[in-house]
Amino acid sequence: MTGLALERVRHRYPDATVDSVHAVDLEVASGGMLALVGPSGSGKSTLLRVAAGLEQPTAGRVLLGDRDVTALPPERRGLSVVSQRPHLFDHLDVTGNVAFGPRVAGVPRREARTRARRYLDLVHLDELGRRRPGQLSGGQQQRVALARALATGREVLLLDEPFGSLDAALRSAMHELLGELRAAVDPTVLLVTHDLDEAALAERVGVLVDGRLHQVAEPGELYRRPATLTVARLLGGFVEVPGTVVPTTGGPQHRSAWGCWSLPGDAGAAGRSTSGDAVLLVRREDLRLVPDGPRDGHPTGPGVRGRVVASRRRGVRVVAVVETSDRSRVEVELAPREDVAVGTPVGVRPTDGAAVWAVDAPQCDPSSLTRHTRHAAHLPGSGPRACDDALRD
Amino acid sequence: MTLGTQEGRQPRAVADLLPVVPIAVVAGGGMAAVVATSWGLMPLYGEPTPGADGWRQVATDLGPAVRETLVLSVGATVLALVVGLGIALVLLAGSPLVRAASLAVLAVPHLVGATSVLLWLGDGGWGARLTGAGPATWPELVAGPWPVATVLALAWKESAFVALVVLAAVAPGHRERMETAATLGARPLQRWTRVLVPSAAPALAATGLVVLVYSIGSYEVVWLLGRTTPEPLSVLSFRLFGSIELLDRPAAAAAAVTGSALALGLTLVAVAAGARVGRSLGAPS
Amino acid sequence: MSATAATAVRRSATGLALLWLLAPLLPVVLWAVSSRWSGRARLPQELGLDGWTAALEAGLAPALVRSVLLGLAVAAVATPLGAWAGRLLGWRIARRPRLLAVALVLPVLLPPLAVAMGLDVVVLRIGVPGPLAVLAVLTVLALPYTAFTAAAGFARVGPGPEEQARTLGANPRQARWLVTWPALRRSLAVAGLLAFLVGWSDYVVTLLLGGGQLVTLPLLLGASASGTGNEPTTAALAVVAASPGLLLLVVAALVLRAARADATGRSGRMAR
Repeated sequence: MTGLALERVRHRYPDATVDSVHAVDLEVASGGMLALVGPSGSGKSTLLRVAAGLEQPTAGRVLLGDRDVTALPPERRGLSVVSQRPHLFDHLDVTGNVAFGPRVAGVPRREARTRARRYLDLVHLDELGRRRPGQLSGGQQQRVALARALATGREVLLLDEPFGSLDAALRSAMHELLGELRAAVDPTVLLVTHDLDEAALAERVGVLVDGRLHQVAEPGELYRRPATLTVARLLGGFVEVPGTVVPTTGGPQHRSAWGCWSLPGDAGAAGRSTSGDAVLLVRREDLRLVPDGPRDGHPTGPGVRGRVVASRRRGVRVVAVVETSDRSRVEVELAPREDVAVGTPVGVRPTDGAAVWAVDAPQCDPSSLTRHTRHAAHLPGSGPRACDDALRD
Repeated sequence: MTLGTQEGRQPRAVADLLPVVPIAVVAGGGMAAVVATSWGLMPLYGEPTPGADGWRQVATDLGPAVRETLVLSVGATVLALVVGLGIALVLLAGSPLVRAASLAVLAVPHLVGATSVLLWLGDGGWGARLTGAGPATWPELVAGPWPVATVLALAWKESAFVALVVLAAVAPGHRERMETAATLGARPLQRWTRVLVPSAAPALAATGLVVLVYSIGSYEVVWLLGRTTPEPLSVLSFRLFGSIELLDRPAAAAAAVTGSALALGLTLVAVAAGARVGRSLGAPS
Repeated sequence: MSATAATAVRRSATGLALLWLLAPLLPVVLWAVSSRWSGRARLPQELGLDGWTAALEAGLAPALVRSVLLGLAVAAVATPLGAWAGRLLGWRIARRPRLLAVALVLPVLLPPLAVAMGLDVVVLRIGVPGPLAVLAVLTVLALPYTAFTAAAGFARVGPGPEEQARTLGANPRQARWLVTWPALRRSLAVAGLLAFLVGWSDYVVTLLLGGGQLVTLPLLLGASASGTGNEPTTAALAVVAASPGLLLLVVAALVLRAARADATGRSGRMAR
């Protein structure tokens, strides 16, 4: 059983002026699965290609188990890759494709094809063994590609957005299949994807933005405690409240135009300062509207006053856009069948049991960091500075 | 979105066959005429005298001529395919100079290529001069017992053709195929033998057939560089055609028909074999 | 294999390929500029343009003109015909695509010598002028090249843009002239070039059917090459006969180099 590790891997393309991957450390436990998410262009595919040996890192090492494979070409590394396009060999039939790995390893033809049929069985394509790739649908081709990669018998599997070109229904079928395969073969898997739901299949998820690893954690942990504002924005669904964190006797507190929010005790953990500028993060579904709320930050708890400036439908729900007293806009999802008129003065308050988290406010305007913002409140204050090397570790 | 049967989109049946007409008239008519001539049905003057005289006259020469034609044609084809594949591999690695050179060679007439080979490999040619060999020691490459010069001259130009066609067939997706094979454990040589060459096979087969058929019908190269006895089919028929004896015409036509039959026959065999291979591989519907 | 070893192999393979492609033409170039290269000398003893004067005396200029005209004539006829067939094939609107494809492949399979031989009697009896017969046969020989080149172009462009133009109010003729043909310029230029080369390079058909009046460059070259002792003349004729190829070499090398430099320049700004 082998795990995969990337040690301080740096990569820069030959005629590029910036690194595509900045000193990334990544580890996948033997038999486990790690999903790597990030916006397009974040360097996830590059990182995977470095792991596979299709690109050479500018610095750093790739380790399989405890073997340093950085200098080895892809055919000798001991991991297999499935990319977004299946790249099946047209001159071989399906069984021949799956048998390719064993064949080039020296296994005799008949035995290789027998082995191939077993893997085709695993992906439920045993009756299509004699077909040519051109006769298969996209989903079937991708399954053959999976079987082909597994048939090499290698213990590490790299998946580069393998289901990206399939429709939603097919994709969930593939997720199930991936689970079956993991149970049957127990490979170590590194999955690159931009689909957060797909990433949640893994035990751990790494967030890569602009070549930097912002956080590696369990999927649930990622949503509860995003490490940086960028991660929160990538995950989406957070309302941001800029302010300051102040240590008090009762634990850290976040103070802002919305009032005082008590933060969980470990909000100051992991080396983060327990005081200073910080952005409070509240899940959108943890906010509600109250009619003509009390003045900001008063006895009844944190919240903010504002006025409904727009309302729109999102599916079956109505979302009200509230312009708050500090001129920022907050989207609040209304309860089912609830509606509110534009212009109504309202208050925005957290629901009972709302969980909050705080991340360090970036030194500059984070909107220049990531293009993948889903829900960002406007940051007031001094003018933004351009970010080149934000979020130094 | 289709606009249905609008004018200009769906041609009338006549218009459909417009390009076929000149081919039928010229090529079809020419072939019919030459067959007729070989049976004495189309003399230059006078009345037709049907009979197998023409065929009888050339009968003894046909055997050696066919053999000679096949030797040089197959030789040229094999050499063109091997070298062409090699050039295609160089082109795949990316070389604008080689690409330009291949295109240029394609544009040079075969006769110029034959002339160049003559100046290289003839008795007083540059090859002999450079190596200091005299007429006694320099091998008979031109008009010798083996059609070395002919094969080289034909293969030289045709290899550029093979290279460019194979490149066009294999280049799309080449890098991805090679990477995929590598991640499946194939070493560089295995990638070539198990992935690259098989994917080039259809293009090689098609161009091989074209080169073979062309070589069978080629005249000027064979005439300039080949030996006088036995003559390949094209040279034999041309010589007879130009003879003063009008009675030689049917014989000339017979030799030409033999060459055509050889070319067509080999094509049919190749196409049939190709169809069988396609079926056994489960060709897509 | 290490990276440096791989580069070395690639470099020598490239060199070998260039050698194979270009070295054959070397003696032609050398002979074309030598006035005395006797006996067993490794290189010409004297340089000069004697071969060219002899070639001109032998009729190089009129032969060149005839070759150019023949090439242009073949291109002029075979390109439109080929484009017509190419449209039927490339857009898959032929009623009998198989018949069309088989017909187009036939001129490649049949030896031109046999076809010309057969037509010789017909042409003489009917009284068709030699050059016209040559043009007809060469056009048919060029059709496969023009048709399949055009077909590839049509397949790439597709009827979509033309249909779009129709929805914007253009009538069929306008749509064809203003939208489709401009998009096909490059394919048609290549097709025309191929047809020109068929006419330019032909030997056997011109010799057989030309009736003696159509002395083109290849005919002159053939006569000179089969003789002895006139290597400079032969070489001069060969250089002229190869000029479209040499021109293409220079143009292609420049174009491909420029395209490469352009692509590298652009990729420098691609950050991933």
